[in-house]
Amino acid sequence: MTVKLLNTNQIMRQVSYALALGVGAQVYFFGFSVFIQIFLACITGLITEALFLRLRGSEIKPAIIDGSVVLTAILLAISIPSIAPWWIIVLGVSFAVIFGKQIFGGLGNNPFNPAMLGYAFLLISYPMQMTQWPADYLSMGQAVDVIFGLSNIDGLTGATSLDHLKTQLTMGISIQELELNSISQLWINIGFLLGGVYLLLRRIIYWQIPVSLLSGVVVMSTALYLVDSGQFTSSLFHLVNGATMLAAFFIATDPVSASTTPSGRLIYGFLIGILIVIIRVFGGYPDAVAFAVLLLNITVPLIDFYTQPKVFGK
Amino acid sequence: MLKYKYNGGLKLDNPYPINEIDLIRIPLPDKVVLPMQQRIGNQAIPIVSVGERVLTGQIIATIDDQRCAPVHASISGTVVAIDEHVYAHKSGLKGLCVTIESDGKDEWVDTSIGCTERYETCTANTIYNKIRVSGIVGMGGAGFPTHTKVRLAEGCHTLIVNATECEPGITCDAALMEAYPTKVIRGIEVLLHICKAERAIIAIEDDKQDAIAALKKFCNNENISIEVMPTKYTSGAEKLLLKYLLGIEVPTGKFASDVGVLCQNVGTVVAMFDAVVENRPLISRAVTVAGSAVKESKNLQVRLGASYDYLLSFVDIKEGSHKISMNGLMMGIELDSTNYSVSKNTNCVFIDQLEESKPTKECIRCGLCNTVCPVDLLPQQLYWYSKSKNIDKAVEYNLLDCIECNCCSYVCPSQIPLVNYYQYSKALYKQQVKEKQQTENARERFEFRELRLERNKRERAEMMEAKKIVLKEKMAKDKAQKAAIEAALERVETAKSAQGSQDDG
Repeated sequence: MTVKLLNTNQIMRQVSYALALGVGAQVYFFGFSVFIQIFLACITGLITEALFLRLRGSEIKPAIIDGSVVLTAILLAISIPSIAPWWIIVLGVSFAVIFGKQIFGGLGNNPFNPAMLGYAFLLISYPMQMTQWPADYLSMGQAVDVIFGLSNIDGLTGATSLDHLKTQLTMGISIQELELNSISQLWINIGFLLGGVYLLLRRIIYWQIPVSLLSGVVVMSTALYLVDSGQFTSSLFHLVNGATMLAAFFIATDPVSASTTPSGRLIYGFLIGILIVIIRVFGGYPDAVAFAVLLLNITVPLIDFYTQPKVFGK
Repeated sequence: MLKYKYNGGLKLDNPYPINEIDLIRIPLPDKVVLPMQQRIGNQAIPIVSVGERVLTGQIIATIDDQRCAPVHASISGTVVAIDEHVYAHKSGLKGLCVTIESDGKDEWVDTSIGCTERYETCTANTIYNKIRVSGIVGMGGAGFPTHTKVRLAEGCHTLIVNATECEPGITCDAALMEAYPTKVIRGIEVLLHICKAERAIIAIEDDKQDAIAALKKFCNNENISIEVMPTKYTSGAEKLLLKYLLGIEVPTGKFASDVGVLCQNVGTVVAMFDAVVENRPLISRAVTVAGSAVKESKNLQVRLGASYDYLLSFVDIKEGSHKISMNGLMMGIELDSTNYSVSKNTNCVFIDQLEESKPTKECIRCGLCNTVCPVDLLPQQLYWYSKSKNIDKAVEYNLLDCIECNCCSYVCPSQIPLVNYYQYSKALYKQQVKEKQQTENARERFEFRELRLERNKRERAEMMEAKKIVLKEKMAKDKAQKAAIEAALERVETAKSAQGSQDDG
């Protein structure tokens, strides 16, 4: 194979650039609050990482410029509601950097996806703030007011389509009505899908995880849909709602915490896909990506061990 | 026909393109330094002494070891020193070398030994012997004595001539093939004659069109085919070549000869032709001199033992600090100076401009390395376990199957010198095995000693017991005898007294 060789820093940067379309769609629907969150996240991430590296007595500059902490920060910032108060993202990113990454020895040594660890921490600790999404586009002024607590957020928030799945169905609203509701989710997911395709073409990520993850989602949701189409949504709903595409191309593909063998990646992705649907449908939280990814992170050493490729001459 | 394929490998462009692949014969060096140690096996023992005059082609050192080949004087002149020099090897260890100062005459010794008639009429054994005394070893880099390798493969079905040029940047084999295509073909015929293979395949990569044309022009033997393969790094590795050409995967721990294939480097084939047909021992070889600091790369046919400095005097070298390496960019080694001499397996000397080394980062398990590994290992896992010195785990992940081709280090986005870690782990493993063996030996010795002591004790006891019994028996016997004697005496006594009383009476 001919390879255009990228170094680790360039890989991190390319992944961050590839997020642009999805982030753009978020900004289009929710406003510039997304940028404020990203900005807060990056600053927090860099400061936390620098402080921790100093405590560990390691060199600060190479770790700061490798782009990995910025990527973690951005991923977490775009996963949380864009109108969450400022301390949510600050707390989440600090937690992600310290307990998700530095405590294990920094880049390359973390068993869990740091951004998802931060997300799970926030979701469990602050469920209210973590589930209030903006109902409409917010202007810059409104965004600043909301994030820094200068004005009341009542009236600005709404539930996401995944929330509706949990609550509205019991109130007699049909699946069809719900599916129409999620136009913003659709475009955001398309944005991340396109970014992911770019990463695939640049050979920065391998096809196995995204393809198997999306297949997992389709297989599980179709199975449920076939059982009862009145109670369960179609696979298309699951594919274009929540963080499905972000998970498939940007989160589950984090090489450090993912399986590293070719067939192991298929198993890893597929099981995440299955779990996403199961947790969304039967679990207590609206979105399931973080838990699904973290659960599979734990199994990576096992998967890697049992999926070693056949070695030449053995 | 074909193709089987092996996974991984790298398509690499030649970093030092050469306009005209010529083989340039350079004048005799004033002095040669010939190392006694070849790659594996024991060191050859000099049979000349300081001050002695030697002729070109004369054997100056020999050893009775199948893994070694004798060393010949590569010029005529006087032996001026037999002393230790640092070898061009990673270890930086010193070894014995014979230094000869040229008299400029290049006077040859009579080398027409053994089978001097046409080789077709000679037995395989005669030819083996001739290859051995001609000092021929694998010239692709391994330096394994050819006579041993050919003998091991006796009865093989296929002969593969490796003309792939093992690494990008090296063109000495291509130069050799262009210069001596007939020698290549005739050399193969000699090999076919002795190893009795049915066919020979010349494996050559498609970036050597001139060499391919030259070989095709002179190849008129229907048992010899020329296989043009895509240029890909690590195709030159023997086992991978076999997989590619024949679809045979040599099992781990086995050799090509175990599956009925003999693989020879094209340079070795030419050297063998010279030895068997022209009675010329191995005293020179083709060396590629190239590098980013070399203005025009060249292939030089040079006498063995000539110094790198002498080689480099035939090319223009740019100013600045340089990095010196030999035997390739991927699997070669870096040297600290040019103060070394050409040996039988020196295929190239590269002089590169010194670049700032890129900082190493942590492994992010991106897995690029496992896509390029030609033997399907998981280099990132090997690295993880090597770094933590978890050697058992690394061995479980097939550390020992690593061919150290450096494809993984080449593509690593974090610039980790992966193969260095593996070499280190392998060394640790070897030590572990050795220590284990030693413990095992010690335990066995101890147990045997215990056993022996126990046995001695038992045997002694048994002996004592036996002695006792014998003694008892003897005593009983003695007693009985004594009793018998006493009884007899008594009888005599009684008889006497009876007689006495009779006499009295």
